[in-house]
Amino acid sequence: MKPVLLIAVNFAREQRWPILTLLLWVLLLAFLGLVTDIHRQREDLLFVFKQDAVYVLAFSVFFGGSAIYNERRSRRILGVLSKAVGRQQYLSGLVLGVTIACAVYCFTLGLTGSWTLGAAGFPISHVWFLMVSLVAACMLAGTVALMFSTFLNPFFAAGATAMVLGLPALASQIFGARWGYVIPVWELGATVLNSSFNSPGTASWAPVLLAGAETLVFWLLSARIFAHVDIAVAVE
Amino acid sequence: MRFALEFEHITKEYRSALGTRRLRALDDFSITVETGEIFGFLGPNGAGKSTAIHLAMGFMRPTSGVGRLLGESFGHTGVRRRVGFLAESVALYHRRAERLVRFYGALNGIGRTRLQKRAREVLEIVGLQDHANRNAGKFSRGMLQRVGLAQAMVNDPELLILDEPTSALDPLARVMVRELLLAARNAGKTIFLSSHLLSEVELISDRVAMLHRGKLARLDKTANLLQAGEQVEIVVRSIGTKDFEGAVARNGFVSFCVPAQSQRAALEKVWNLGGEVVSVNPVRRSLEEIFLEVTAEPKAVASKGIQ
Repeated sequence: MKPVLLIAVNFAREQRWPILTLLLWVLLLAFLGLVTDIHRQREDLLFVFKQDAVYVLAFSVFFGGSAIYNERRSRRILGVLSKAVGRQQYLSGLVLGVTIACAVYCFTLGLTGSWTLGAAGFPISHVWFLMVSLVAACMLAGTVALMFSTFLNPFFAAGATAMVLGLPALASQIFGARWGYVIPVWELGATVLNSSFNSPGTASWAPVLLAGAETLVFWLLSARIFAHVDIAVAVE
Repeated sequence: MRFALEFEHITKEYRSALGTRRLRALDDFSITVETGEIFGFLGPNGAGKSTAIHLAMGFMRPTSGVGRLLGESFGHTGVRRRVGFLAESVALYHRRAERLVRFYGALNGIGRTRLQKRAREVLEIVGLQDHANRNAGKFSRGMLQRVGLAQAMVNDPELLILDEPTSALDPLARVMVRELLLAARNAGKTIFLSSHLLSEVELISDRVAMLHRGKLARLDKTANLLQAGEQVEIVVRSIGTKDFEGAVARNGFVSFCVPAQSQRAALEKVWNLGGEVVSVNPVRRSLEEIFLEVTAEPKAVASKGIQ
């Protein structure tokens, strides 16, 4: 477990600049909370909040899709895997790292959202439920991207991830809402996007738990593929 | 004899994404590295040295053949706790040198207290104790290589696998690394040393393998390789150069080479001529000469010598 934690924390540390850049958007929300009339501008605040939520989802795919590529290209992966670290542990570290990176962002967004949206009448407990949903969605999206990145370059991995995450969304529009649960990133994202002051939505934990279970499945799949990858070969 | 590293008929082919192009990096490659020796691993660029090392470390899988690292199959995770590895191009995270060494040590499961002490120790060994709190991202290539060496040694490994460990080092640091490796060998460690610096390898290696186009071209004790000429050089004085074919006069001495079996007759001839024998030594070749000979051959020859 220790190597997994070390790899995860190291990964999150390596992503500190993208995370800090992302946090500027949260800062914008905080700034709006300070300078505007929260009650009159509450819909605008909610819009910025949702916008921030979508960004972290996109960044989770970016983090997951580029993690292995960057490590292989820089050859830092050799230093890590030359130690008593299994490839499964390495992937677990990356999944946890992506989750930590996104959780740091979501926690900050949750704090700012609780203050701004809470003051405007949005239930604070629901803000935190939305953040948990968002972290679960990021974890699953990042893991799917990571799986594709074990054998594709980041560009194609991101495309493939978008397709895999988007297909259930499309299916849910055509065949019914249940299809959205196949890979519930869309469903979890929609929970955040569809919430409003009049109807914040109900806290349904099923998609969150499903996302956790599917993360495990995609992690297993990643580990299976990654076990056969020649990691010392140039990635280009 | 327990072997630290074994390659048994290993072949490694790289294939393009569509499988249309193939490159055989290693071809039926077999060597064994004995415990407690410094094993020099030589070959021109593209000979397959790094491929062999990466296979041993489990970074890739052989197309065919098997290999063992400290008795365990290549790719075994736990055994790497007993191995130290330095890659050819050292790539490290940008953080303080001491923290970096501790990070790599912690990945090997070393406890915090021991790691703190050990990290300082290894940084001192590689001469970076004064730079322990500097960010490795701002280090020169030579300093990075030294941090790389420190992280490879942090777990006090039984086997050190070093891919070009001195390529970026200045002469002083090279001497330091040479002494370090000799001390490690004397402490019972095994060192598998891949290098282009033939003079370094010649000085410290117990055995040498030369790889050419993915095949083993030479494998022998370093001493045997260097004396493989089967000629002796005789240095004499008080005779002329005309008495022996190829004799050269230098600083009042005359030296010439004869086949080892003609040595006795040559010495008697010197004495009969009233000359004085100063020295008789087997002709030593340099690894560079052998290396050039091997790499000039159109095809690698079958392995010869001690395994």
